Amino acid sequence: MKLRAELAIKCATHESQTESRNHSIMQYNGSAIVAMVGKNCVAIAADKRLGQQALTVDMDFEKVFRMTDRTFIGLSGLAADVKTVHDTLRMRVNLYKHREERVIEPKTMAHLVSHMLYERRFGPYYIEPIIAGLDKDNKPYICATDLIGCLSLPEDFVVTGTASDNLFGMCESLWEPELEPEDLFETISQALLNAVDRDAMSGWGAVVHIITPDGVITRDIKGRMD
Amino acid sequence: MDALFAIAGKDFVISVSDTASARSIVRMKKNCDKTYKLSSHTLLAVCGEPGDTANFAEYIQGNVRLYSVRNSQDLSPSETANFIRNELAGSMRSRKPYNVNMLVAGVDQNTGAASLYRIDYLAAMAKVPFAAHGYCAYFVYSVMDHEYTEGLTLEQGFDIVKNCLTALKERFIVDFPDFSIKVISTNGTREYDLAEI
Amino acid sequence: MDRYSFSLTTFAPNGKLLQIEHALAAVGNGSTSVGIKAANGVVIATEKKTGSSLIDISSLEHMAMVCESIGMVYSGMGPDFRVLVNSARKIAQQYRRVYMEDPPVRILVKELASVMQEFTQRGGVRPFGVSLLLAGVDERGPSLYQVDPSGSYFPWKATAIGKNMVNSKTFLEKRFNGDMELEDAVHTAILTLKEGFEGQMTENSIDVGIINVIPGSQSGQSNPTFQRLTSAEIKDYLSNIL
Repeated sequence: MKLRAELAIKCATHESQTESRNHSIMQYNGSAIVAMVGKNCVAIAADKRLGQQALTVDMDFEKVFRMTDRTFIGLSGLAADVKTVHDTLRMRVNLYKHREERVIEPKTMAHLVSHMLYERRFGPYYIEPIIAGLDKDNKPYICATDLIGCLSLPEDFVVTGTASDNLFGMCESLWEPELEPEDLFETISQALLNAVDRDAMSGWGAVVHIITPDGVITRDIKGRMD
Repeated sequence: MDALFAIAGKDFVISVSDTASARSIVRMKKNCDKTYKLSSHTLLAVCGEPGDTANFAEYIQGNVRLYSVRNSQDLSPSETANFIRNELAGSMRSRKPYNVNMLVAGVDQNTGAASLYRIDYLAAMAKVPFAAHGYCAYFVYSVMDHEYTEGLTLEQGFDIVKNCLTALKERFIVDFPDFSIKVISTNGTREYDLAEI
Repeated sequence: MDRYSFSLTTFAPNGKLLQIEHALAAVGNGSTSVGIKAANGVVIATEKKTGSSLIDISSLEHMAMVCESIGMVYSGMGPDFRVLVNSARKIAQQYRRVYMEDPPVRILVKELASVMQEFTQRGGVRPFGVSLLLAGVDERGPSLYQVDPSGSYFPWKATAIGKNMVNSKTFLEKRFNGDMELEDAVHTAILTLKEGFEGQMTENSIDVGIINVIPGSQSGQSNPTFQRLTSAEIKDYLSNIL
């Protein structure tokens, strides 16, 4: 399969190797998403920018979606596929809910997503999702996958998007174990805001969700709006 | 090289598109309408690969109208936009994808709220207060960013349009023969003359 | 034969599909199987019948594991059962492929029942000549299901299918109680089979399968696992009865 994007971006960036061509598709729209584990809670946050390379097109673009009461998915990468995958996954999760008469667990959803992505192994969706949620025993769950569905399951934090290098650095220095919801909010917000400030492709404010056993706290935060 | 942009107010959307039809360096036609009426309250404006734009837009127009006929009810702007995006996303992964950028402008007949959707040729969609496509985006976005206020009136909208066109005239090397300015409001769609606004 | 007996998809005027009735008759001729849901697990058991004493009865299998957490047994036609075992295993593995966990029993039963239903409506096929008992454990606890050739399915606390179905069910109605532990349930299941058993019941002439909610620690399992009892284990149970 040959996406037109590949051609367009190939021309724009003068890149010819297959590796870097796919790479630039992932960077075409720009995004920064991070999830963190706290004490009996998890947080997931994302920036709000939608761009076309350097041009910003939307400053309120949704990248993190609530799939069940207590499970969220963040989709970074090509904006078109963010929507396609979100729509498809929403369908799969709803079908699961009706067929099985139960709500899908974060871990199960991670494997479902992984399966959906690997199904398209040779014509992938250009997205790298992260999943964050609490399972039925209120145990925090986070994971990330690459664009063909290879799961990685760290126990502290996961990052994805064009600002992922910056996010790694921020999380590595700010995160600590057993953070309470409010402290986790502060940590994840600072990590994200400071990461996107050094990334031209992401930013324009952010949204943070803190998932606790008592419910979800969602906050919009302003960053440097430039 | 097409110029295509739009501004949404509370209950109206102004859509502006140039009327040039060019092939290479030659202007073949200068009164070409690049908008398609999908229903009484939805308008689709397109730019991109000349053959693709017309073909895809007419396909969408046919199907949206078919829906209205079959169900005695129009699709709402958000339904229309999502349908279009879905069709384009399907086409993106086909052997020969359409190269079309679109703006979907509409007024929801139940709520009276206006909305504007920007869909690019990769099928990325965003609901936005104002939008532009192509090279003209690099000129008009800054004007709209600067002058747009939430809940602006139609007159204020026209003022922004005028300033956008001035910016294009001033700084863009392409000279557009004319612009088609259409306003979608609760009363339906109306075309304005450049001199009128 | 009247004209409603041939085509699967033709209703008789009384509203019945005769081929399905006939399939049920085939089940009624088959050897009896029983299933009991206990507080901490499920047991399924069946008679192993042979036409000749020369058959090596110890290697006959009337029971199958579908996946780790689910087992099944049948009454009716053996060859048809094997086809359904294949389908059931495939359904379970397909589910695992997507979700990386075993299907809940109800989901597997529903899928398998829809396979059986399809064989009552498609052209060029006949219904399966078997009724199934499925025993399994999932996050909702133990469950026992019966699936019929028509594709209808029922959740049971205890039931029987096959030749001695009516008597066995009456027997179970008297013996069953909800607090029963798995040990008791196995005992009761064997007793139920013994009721209508022709000839001498031995450890080789019945098949018993169990699944425990709390996995056996001695066998080193971490998840509930369906197991067929060995002849030695069955012999132990039998010696308690006799």
